[in-house]
Amino acid sequence: MTADELGQLLQRVGRHDRQAFAEVYQATSAKLYGIVLRILSRRDIAEEVLQEVFVKIWERAADYDSSKASPISWMAAIARNRALDEVRRKLPVAIEDYPEIQDYASEDETALAATMRNEDGRRLAECLQHLDPERRQMVLLAYCDGFSRDELATRFAQPVNTIKTWLRRSLAQLKGCLGS
Amino acid sequence: MTGDEDLDGLAGEYVLGTLDADERAAVAARRLREPALDMAIRGWEIRLAPLFESVPEVMPSAALFPRIESRIENNLVEPRSAIIIDLRRRVNFWRGAAIAAGSIAAAFAIAIGAQQFPPKEKTPNLVAVLQKDAASPAFLVTVNVENRTMTVRPVAAKNESGRSYELWLVQESLGTPRSLGIIDEEGAISHPTLAAFKPEVIKSATFAVSLEPEGGSPTGQPTGPVLFAGKLIPAT
Repeated sequence: MTADELGQLLQRVGRHDRQAFAEVYQATSAKLYGIVLRILSRRDIAEEVLQEVFVKIWERAADYDSSKASPISWMAAIARNRALDEVRRKLPVAIEDYPEIQDYASEDETALAATMRNEDGRRLAECLQHLDPERRQMVLLAYCDGFSRDELATRFAQPVNTIKTWLRRSLAQLKGCLGS
Repeated sequence: MTGDEDLDGLAGEYVLGTLDADERAAVAARRLREPALDMAIRGWEIRLAPLFESVPEVMPSAALFPRIESRIENNLVEPRSAIIIDLRRRVNFWRGAAIAAGSIAAAFAIAIGAQQFPPKEKTPNLVAVLQKDAASPAFLVTVNVENRTMTVRPVAAKNESGRSYELWLVQESLGTPRSLGIIDEEGAISHPTLAAFKPEVIKSATFAVSLEPEGGSPTGQPTGPVLFAGKLIPAT
C-alpha cells in the first residue's frame, strides 16, 4: 500500500469509517506489532499495547497531518511512544531474564542494511557508519530494542552519565551529518 | 526550562527512547505547550524513521483485531468521541493562545481544545475539553457565560478510590487558582461557583482538574498533580 493510499484511509478513519479502520489494521498491524514486540519482548504485553495503539489511532486519525509525517511514521511514533512508556513503567528487568534479546552483535549490521531501502534510509545508514561502532550500536539498541540508559550502562560497562553524554553526542553528530 | 537546556538532545533521547519514565512523562506534557520542543521531537521522528522500517514485521494473533473492535464499540460512545475529535482540530490554536497568556495559565495548560456548540439562543454555551491525551480520562465543561452556569461531564474519567478530582479556574487576574468544586461520581459539581467571576475572566480562563485527597484540597490550592486542563473558546 502506498503512503497516499494509507493517508486516505486514515482520513476516512478520522470520520470513524470502520471499513477503512479494518484496512489500516490489515496493512500496518504486522509492522507496528514488530516494533512494539521488539521493544517489549513479551507477546502478551505487546498485544495489549498494540490494542491501545490502534484504539488511539482510531481516536486520533482526524489529527493526522500529511504535511508533517508519512502515515506509517505517524502511526509508528504512536506505537513506539506507547511501547516505551510501558517498558519504562516497569522496574528494570535483568537482560538475563530474556535470553532471546541478548544476541545483537549481528543485528547491528542487519538493521543498517534494512534501512538502505530508500534515500533517507541510505543517508541515515551512512551517517550511522560515521559513529564509533559502540555508539552506533547504542543508538540502535535504544531505538529498535528499547534499551534504557541503565540497560545500556550495564551492557557497555559504563556509568549511566557517560551513556547519557555519549547518546547526546551521537545524536548531535547524526544530526550534523544528516543536515550536511 | 533553563536557557542553556539541550532541547534538541532531550527531544532526540525522547525519540530514541532512553529517557526514564518520569522524564518521558515530563517531555510528553511539555511538548503540548512548547512548540519548539514538539518540533524538535518531530524532527527526530523523521530523522530516525528509517530505523523502525528496518524492524521485522510480526503477525499479531488473529484474535487481536476483534478485541480492538469491541473496545472501540464499548469505550467510545458517539457522539462524545466525535466532539473530542472535532475539538482536537483546534488544539494547536489554543496551545498558542495558552503560551501567549503566559504564567500560570500556560503552566496548567497541559492540553487544550475547545469548540463552540451550535448557538441555540442569544447566549451560546461555550465548551472546554479537559484532557491529557486521547487515552486518558477527560472531562467536558460546558459554560453559559451570560448566566454563569456550568456543567461538568466525565467523558472517560475513572474514579480513583480515596481521591477526588477538583476543578480549578486559572486566570492571571485572579492571581491564584480558584476552586470550582469537587467533581463527584456523576461528574456534577456540587456547588457551582462561577457566579463569583466576571464573564471576561471566565472566557479567558483555563479550567484545570487536579487529583486531590478525598473531599478536595486541604489548602484551598491545588496540592496534587494537575491532570487535565482546557480552555473555552470565545464566542465568534
